[in-house]
Amino acid sequence: MSAVAPPVRDDQQREKPSPGKADRPEVSDRARQEQRLAQRLVAPAVVIMLLVTAFPILRALYLSFYTYSLTSPEDRAFIGIDNYVTALTDGLFWRDIGVTVLYMVVTVGIELVIGFAFAMVMHRVVFARGLIRTSILIPYGIITVVSGFAWQFAFTYQNGFINGWLPGIGDSFNWFGETTPAVIAIMVSEIWKTTPFMSLLLLAGLAQVSDDMIEAAKVDGATWWQRLWRVILPNMRAAIMVAVLFRALDAYRIFDNIFVMTSGAVGTESISFLVYRQTIEQFQLGMGSALSVLLFLSVLLVAFLIVKLFRVDLAKARGEE
Amino acid sequence: MKQRVGLVVGVGLILVWCLLPVVWIVSLSLKDAVAVTNGSPGFFPADGAFAGFDNYRDAWGNDQFRRAIINSLGISLISTTLSVILATLAAYAIARLEFRGKKLVLTTALAIAMFPVVALVSPLFDMWRAVGLYDTWPGLIIPYMSFTLPLAIWTLAAFFREIPWELEQAAQVDGATSWQAFRKVIVPLAAPGVFTAAILTFFFAWNDFVFGITLTSTEAARPIPASLSFFVGADPFNRPASLLAAGAVIATIPIVIIVLIFQRKIVAGLTSGAVKG
Amino acid sequence: MAVATLTCGLLAACSNGSDKPTLNWYINPDGQATLTELAAACSTDDYDIEIQLLPTGATDQRTQLARRLAASDSETNLMSLDPVFVPEFANAGWIAQWPEDLAAEVLDDDVLSGPAETVRWDDGVYAAPQWANTQVLWYRKSLAEAAGLDMSQPVTWSQVIDAAASQGGTVGVQADRYEAYMVWINSLVAGAGGEIVSATETGSDAEVEIDSEAGRAAATVVQELADSGAAQPDLSVSREGTSLPFMFEGPGEFMTNWTFVYKNYEPTDGGAFTQEQFDDLGWARYPQTVEGEESRPPVGGIDIAVGEFTDNKDFAFEAARCVSSPEAQKQLAVNDGLMPSRQSVYDDQELIDAFDPSLLTLFQESLESGAPRPKSAYYNLISGAIQASWHSPTEVDPDSTPADSADYLRAVLRSEALL
Repeated sequence: MSAVAPPVRDDQQREKPSPGKADRPEVSDRARQEQRLAQRLVAPAVVIMLLVTAFPILRALYLSFYTYSLTSPEDRAFIGIDNYVTALTDGLFWRDIGVTVLYMVVTVGIELVIGFAFAMVMHRVVFARGLIRTSILIPYGIITVVSGFAWQFAFTYQNGFINGWLPGIGDSFNWFGETTPAVIAIMVSEIWKTTPFMSLLLLAGLAQVSDDMIEAAKVDGATWWQRLWRVILPNMRAAIMVAVLFRALDAYRIFDNIFVMTSGAVGTESISFLVYRQTIEQFQLGMGSALSVLLFLSVLLVAFLIVKLFRVDLAKARGEE
Repeated sequence: MKQRVGLVVGVGLILVWCLLPVVWIVSLSLKDAVAVTNGSPGFFPADGAFAGFDNYRDAWGNDQFRRAIINSLGISLISTTLSVILATLAAYAIARLEFRGKKLVLTTALAIAMFPVVALVSPLFDMWRAVGLYDTWPGLIIPYMSFTLPLAIWTLAAFFREIPWELEQAAQVDGATSWQAFRKVIVPLAAPGVFTAAILTFFFAWNDFVFGITLTSTEAARPIPASLSFFVGADPFNRPASLLAAGAVIATIPIVIIVLIFQRKIVAGLTSGAVKG
Repeated sequence: MAVATLTCGLLAACSNGSDKPTLNWYINPDGQATLTELAAACSTDDYDIEIQLLPTGATDQRTQLARRLAASDSETNLMSLDPVFVPEFANAGWIAQWPEDLAAEVLDDDVLSGPAETVRWDDGVYAAPQWANTQVLWYRKSLAEAAGLDMSQPVTWSQVIDAAASQGGTVGVQADRYEAYMVWINSLVAGAGGEIVSATETGSDAEVEIDSEAGRAAATVVQELADSGAAQPDLSVSREGTSLPFMFEGPGEFMTNWTFVYKNYEPTDGGAFTQEQFDDLGWARYPQTVEGEESRPPVGGIDIAVGEFTDNKDFAFEAARCVSSPEAQKQLAVNDGLMPSRQSVYDDQELIDAFDPSLLTLFQESLESGAPRPKSAYYNLISGAIQASWHSPTEVDPDSTPADSADYLRAVLRSEALL
């Protein structure tokens, strides 16, 4: 899944004179017409969006109260919240949640720092802009599976180059034999592919910081470091927060790289991967549905926490007011 | 001066970061398959382990791989087209018309953009096999549309808000018919937005893996990322690294072409259109 | 292959415009070329057989097939099925039971008892054995000689590991987290006279037996190899293919692996191996877990099953019989080193010419004394739980791993733990 950031709008947005709002008590014919037209225009998109999400998630909710395996459909039975109890008291579930949060925190943190450095360079640079733009878009556009393969082969000792290049690592070191190195390898692939996206979002934020303010700070004798922390960063707060929110939710759903690089072995499994294995490999639709619901709720929780913790203004993210 | 050196170093680092893994996968694709099976470490092919374009010939000669490329192209293009059309309608309404439920539509779109896709595959698989969409092109096109619509709607709505719609009326006053006014004035202004949305949508569809592996089971619809992950070479007991690399490079070519031609528009779309702090 | 060519020619002629049914045959990637020829040769005037390729791993193959069959797919007609999945598929009603007369034909006295047993479930026959697989101990003669290990006598895992380590050589096994690791563990446990589970016909009520002396003996072997200098660097991700290159590199290796290995090292024009190297390749009976106790080599192979939802079952049964015929088995053995499941084919002159006679005897002996994996409709859970708790091999400990895996497997079978 490539990250998707919504447009974030200026606060001082031109308030369009809205006929609907002006004479709300008695809705005019024209407004009613506009209403109907708008709903017709929006309807197909909404139907398609809900078709693939609303019904399946309701069905998952329903199935999550059953024991139901595709290999013995006749044994399906209602078991109340047993699936949830089993999942929430299971070591594997919590371990996978922990690993997933680790992926999220580490990759987003590193991406933020490197992405910001890249954005600073791109913001200042006056030469080779086309070349830089082209290069930075290639990791963004490349298939995650391809990135996973490229890094997996780079890390293998049979055909890779990383053991040869890294000092202090033996030529036959097996990166995929233990949790820590395997998790690092997966993170490298994830960070490589998504940092450019982060840097482009931050570049847009950087463009919003007025040069006058930076100049003024310079005149006042602020050092580069002070200008960065006191002027630049506070002024691009909204851009940073939106980038973090969307990248974090994306990283929380990490799946492709794990599938390709380790198939979830040696403790590299994420919560998405657990859901995949339960439903698609084990055919445990009941338990898998319960885990799907839990995954869904945990995504909401993560989104909520980030919004609260960093006070991301969702109205801005939504492009309203 | 010091700053300029710093910038040059910075640009160098960005280029190395972005391109090194790409060069690596190209280099791997030129390694000889037998040498790779027996272990041939190093960034570049070792002496005598250079295979030229053999791996590309083999990958392209593989029927499953070719079918997957066709599937991916077809499915991605169709879902991009449909998604952009629907998104244009919706975004127009959101940007220009006042209606109840506008917030709801935008929030729904935002929620879907955050949706954990894996949580859907099992019920979706159930639904699709019930209605016969399993392992078919529409079976992938529909979910791709659902998950690209939010992005397309957001991007397009942002663009449409910037369009000075008064120009349309001005043109009509000047004697143009409403169709002419729309075509000559609005379309050129809206085109870059539509275009950006289309490219981002295409990237999403081309990249998708979860739906690709769960909603297909043969080359009737299996897209390229799924096909790569199941790729079997002549030797069933070894993952054919160099052959896979060649396949991966071929699968990246459309992306590189799009990036080369449209880099300016994509960056503009991702930044100015999409994020304004 | 004259038949194949002839049929192909006819095919091109008669497939034009006719509405002959097409039977889809889902194959695993071993022996692709031969299977493609077989598909053409077994196509008749009534139907064409078309090959559909499955992924490499047994687990992935099962997932792909099961997803189609769970969708009641009428176009999954023939399938190459790993024997361990026959009970699950039969139990789920996904594969068709063979009519008695046909069953008697594909399961006559000529079929080796091991492979024959894999296709029976609930008093019915659900597939036709196509080829049978087993593992032997492949080794580099010069390495064994240098280490002073007498290969004419049965050897133990411990001896093999010590011998390899003493000369700087290695021991190749399959210990990635996948089906072949389960194969190894199963044989180690069986070699010590134990079982992973028993009473498997009771489904999820099966008795878990791995927390036993035999389980601990198996864990001891895994630990001994993991701690030894003879372990290959990628032990925890080792698969059938990864240990092949070690045979003629440095001092060489001992490797437990399937029958295809012989054809893999055979010198060919432009191939990777020389006659001299090939002459240095030795083979012996699978190593013993416990000294003095007969080893129980892994067994595997492929059975041909017919999809329950298929429209032309009669055609499908006929086609399944054709692709598992003695002639078909001979071709798979000669071309790809995939061994026959029928006794008579081993006596075929072409086979004797293609293999070393001592190897053919060893294969048959290994198949007959092999250790089948648990035959259960819940096999996938059993295998998955064992793999999860025994991986990584570097963390296996005889004092805890068998006991922990037994607890975990019990919980998984009772749906009390996630797998």
